Amino acid sequence: MPNLPERKVGLIACSGEDLPEGTVSREAALRVLERLRPGRTVTLCLPLFLAGEERERAFARFFPTIAIDGCDKRCAARATEMYSARPAVSLVVSELRELLSLDPPKRVRGPDEAREVLALATAEALAGQVDNLLNRVPAASSDAEARGAGTRADGGAPDALEETEAVCSCASDIPVQTVEVDGRTLELVALPAVFALLHEEGKHPSDDGTVEALLDQVRIYNLVPPESEAALGRALLNAYEAFWARTATIIGEE
Amino acid sequence: MSDAHDREVIIIPCSGIGKAFGSVGREAAYVVTEELRPGCTSTVCLSLLTLGDEEIRRRVREHPTITIDGCPTACARVNVEQAGANPAATFRVFDVFRRHKELKVRRVSDIGEAGEAMARILAEEIADKVDELRRDKE
Repeated sequence: MPNLPERKVGLIACSGEDLPEGTVSREAALRVLERLRPGRTVTLCLPLFLAGEERERAFARFFPTIAIDGCDKRCAARATEMYSARPAVSLVVSELRELLSLDPPKRVRGPDEAREVLALATAEALAGQVDNLLNRVPAASSDAEARGAGTRADGGAPDALEETEAVCSCASDIPVQTVEVDGRTLELVALPAVFALLHEEGKHPSDDGTVEALLDQVRIYNLVPPESEAALGRALLNAYEAFWARTATIIGEE
Repeated sequence: MSDAHDREVIIIPCSGIGKAFGSVGREAAYVVTEELRPGCTSTVCLSLLTLGDEEIRRRVREHPTITIDGCPTACARVNVEQAGANPAATFRVFDVFRRHKELKVRRVSDIGEAGEAMARILAEEIADKVDELRRDKE
């Protein structure tokens, strides 16, 4: 496999500034990122889908993503699907609140007990979904429990103990490259890493099976329609030849 | 429609969830809309604007808008511009930090006293701008 960033779950919160449930979406996401599932989750500011670059729009194509929305307008889920890829899970705070019969939050900022209770419940629900998506044994069911128990349910190291600071994945290491296919510009996630991998394996562009090897790797991270395979294979080979030539020049200069 | 509504200024912070300056910008927006200039300012969900919601797009085109950004990507400004509006003023949290390097923001989920102080400095500057914009409309 190409050397790519570790597989984690992406959390996209709507952060809706105009309503208390939007604040809950952000507080719950941060709790998961910093305390409940640090190291297993990453985030991206939602407006970056529009303001950012290709690597930001590749986010949900690379990471399985949970959209956390404050209200049923589902901005996070819809924007993620519109600009990147359909989220694996869509969670709506107002719906979760009704399901759990919790009191509605009243304030967008400052002390609000109802908002805090709802944020905790939302964070627990999110953490469970993270575990489902990563097919892992859950870490302790809450950070408080983790501190008390000191071990995971599977007896492993207590990986929810350390609190880390949440950081945005903008300008992250998700490599993206575009190729021209039949006059269209196609953006492919992980392509530079795929090239580097095959180069390391000594796969020369003129070797038998290079096109198939390129397509096999590209398919892992990108949807490749069968009808486009032949044209894409040619485009990949051209780009790989350029990569090979560039790399040979760099090595020669060293 | 009331005069107050006619002269309403919309404050849009960047929604930054992964950077402490994003949290400072959001806090500054709330200080303006809830404490310093309630009634004549409001905020909108930037995520709705990102999604292209027509009602929100119309509001940012019809009212003077002030954006607050926490990082150089300037999501708030860019999203307002993409909606077909020109922000009446743009603020960056970093500019306040440059003038007040003694204020070390703690973290994204808890900006701490220094972060709150930075948010208040920024909020005061934004409030002055709100007054200026409302005077211009009279």
